[in-house]
Amino acid sequence: MSDSEDRDVDEDLSEEVAETEIASEGPPEIEFYGGDLVSAFPLAFFVLWAIVQSGLLRIGDTTGLVAGMLVSLIIGLFLVKGSWRGYANTIFEGMTRRVAATAVVAWLWAGMFAETIQVGGFVEGLVWAANAANVGAGLFPAVTFILAGLLATGIGTGYGTTVAFTTLFFPAGVLLGANPVLMFGAILSGAVFGDNLAPVSDTTIVSAVTQDSDIGGVVASRFKYAILAAIIAFIGYLVAGPAMPGLDISGQAQQIFVENSEPAGLLHLLSMFVVIGTAVAGRHIVEAISWGIIVAAVFNVAFGLASVAEMVAFQAPETLGIAQSLAWLPFVELVPAGETGVGGSLYAGAQGFFPLIVLVLLIVAGAQIMIRGGGFAALQDWLLDSVATNVRRAEVTMVLGTALVNAMITINTAAEIAIGPYIARLGERFNINGYRRANILDANTSALGYIFPWSGGVLVGFAVIQGLPNEYEWFTQSMVVNPADVVLFVFHGWVLVIIFLLAALTGFGLEYTSDRESEEVARV
Amino acid sequence: MSLLEKYTKGWSFRTNKPSFGEGDEISVFITEIDGETPIARIGDSKLRVHNAPGNLVDKRVLLRVTEFDESEHVGEAEYVETVGESAF
Repeated sequence: MSDSEDRDVDEDLSEEVAETEIASEGPPEIEFYGGDLVSAFPLAFFVLWAIVQSGLLRIGDTTGLVAGMLVSLIIGLFLVKGSWRGYANTIFEGMTRRVAATAVVAWLWAGMFAETIQVGGFVEGLVWAANAANVGAGLFPAVTFILAGLLATGIGTGYGTTVAFTTLFFPAGVLLGANPVLMFGAILSGAVFGDNLAPVSDTTIVSAVTQDSDIGGVVASRFKYAILAAIIAFIGYLVAGPAMPGLDISGQAQQIFVENSEPAGLLHLLSMFVVIGTAVAGRHIVEAISWGIIVAAVFNVAFGLASVAEMVAFQAPETLGIAQSLAWLPFVELVPAGETGVGGSLYAGAQGFFPLIVLVLLIVAGAQIMIRGGGFAALQDWLLDSVATNVRRAEVTMVLGTALVNAMITINTAAEIAIGPYIARLGERFNINGYRRANILDANTSALGYIFPWSGGVLVGFAVIQGLPNEYEWFTQSMVVNPADVVLFVFHGWVLVIIFLLAALTGFGLEYTSDRESEEVARV
Repeated sequence: MSLLEKYTKGWSFRTNKPSFGEGDEISVFITEIDGETPIARIGDSKLRVHNAPGNLVDKRVLLRVTEFDESEHVGEAEYVETVGESAF
């Protein structure tokens, strides 16, 4: 390339950067054929795509939603009056918003932490605890709820918890004589608890950052609702456990437990408390989770729970000379030439969030187009003028609106990102505190994502249970729990939904922006 | 705020019409404009804001309450400074 061509490219680039900056400083006034509400098209089409993909066809593939959002943004171009440049620049403007960047950073760190305590045998530690407690069939669902809640609070992913617990605790409970439907309900309840409360949960992170609040403060303010619901749900499982008959199978539940038990894995309860403690104490979430990762890694190596290579590994070709000479390093592994790569929990944990990261960037871009095109204001004004006319009605609208969106978009984090801007604006117009808004947003998102039979959380558990007849000879097809049967037995989810509806109607837990400031400036 | 306070705050039923004392400095969002006067609606209470620059809706501002009617839940406040923006 010649010097003059270089200069042309530089000038084009600087012009583009300048235009993007102008677009982000003031409204580019994107005009749509058919009026302001048409600016909602990219998001509306995405919601439709999500309903068809996840709701109708039951495909829980986040990258599929990324494709949906990309297609939405392309079709949206054709609805713009005049030049498409403003629309295109608004995509950049949205994707570079701090709300998206904050979620991305928190997710990457949370992913690394969750995976590191998992390779360190946290699940196996919980299995050991269940076995040591030696409870009977009647109490088993209640104990399962507590332990699943602990795992979900540690690893922040309700889906991961559901998979781990339906793999190990579900068949063990059924063998013991616990009711299968109640067992599945208890597992999903634990998943709801952790998804809702854990500082490393993707939904907790989204709820905090979209409401301009610090994650530690959100967790502390959320504790009252979560613990109230958990106590009621726990009592529910204690009562229903002995009341609901199980199946009579001659088999040894203990065998499943003994094979998958590692008491030292419980050390990761400490790793979990390090993250929660430092985050709630007011440390930056990156700092809090970094400390958690360091503590977890030290435990893994010091107590032989996981090797360095299980956390980070360079898998180099065994034929390469330099790789052979470095193979003594604990993080270098020699593998056949076609199987090279980087691996370990830090790698896999971060990678697990890549599809969701791209999705959040695109959804925020779609929301920005709706803001710049006037659709956001139009819908907001309608809600404020006709529905949310006082603070109680505003909060009920927030609770029911979140429920509605979660019923349609069954991948709960995606639903939360889509409704987040409305919760923020509606709440701000009544000066409802950011912590309260984050709590309303996350409660229904966490709960309903594990209640509706078509929701992602229920379906991942169902997929595992469906595979159990191939795993165990004694597990017959008739023991598979249908997603529709478990709906009523996700006690923690239901109680959480009811508590928030009552809280909105009565003002329980309500705080105003004037009552206290969330620490968003320092934290986020 | 201590760790314990963070967990224990908000265990109560909060009124939908909060009250403010004269001289209170509060950080709130400006929620609407009545004619030329910006209004900060906190729950279902309203403060009319004086000496404010234009176009403050959805901006977070520091206000000093100058007057508050406990029975009507309306009051007057002085604009001190703008401290933040809407989350969206």
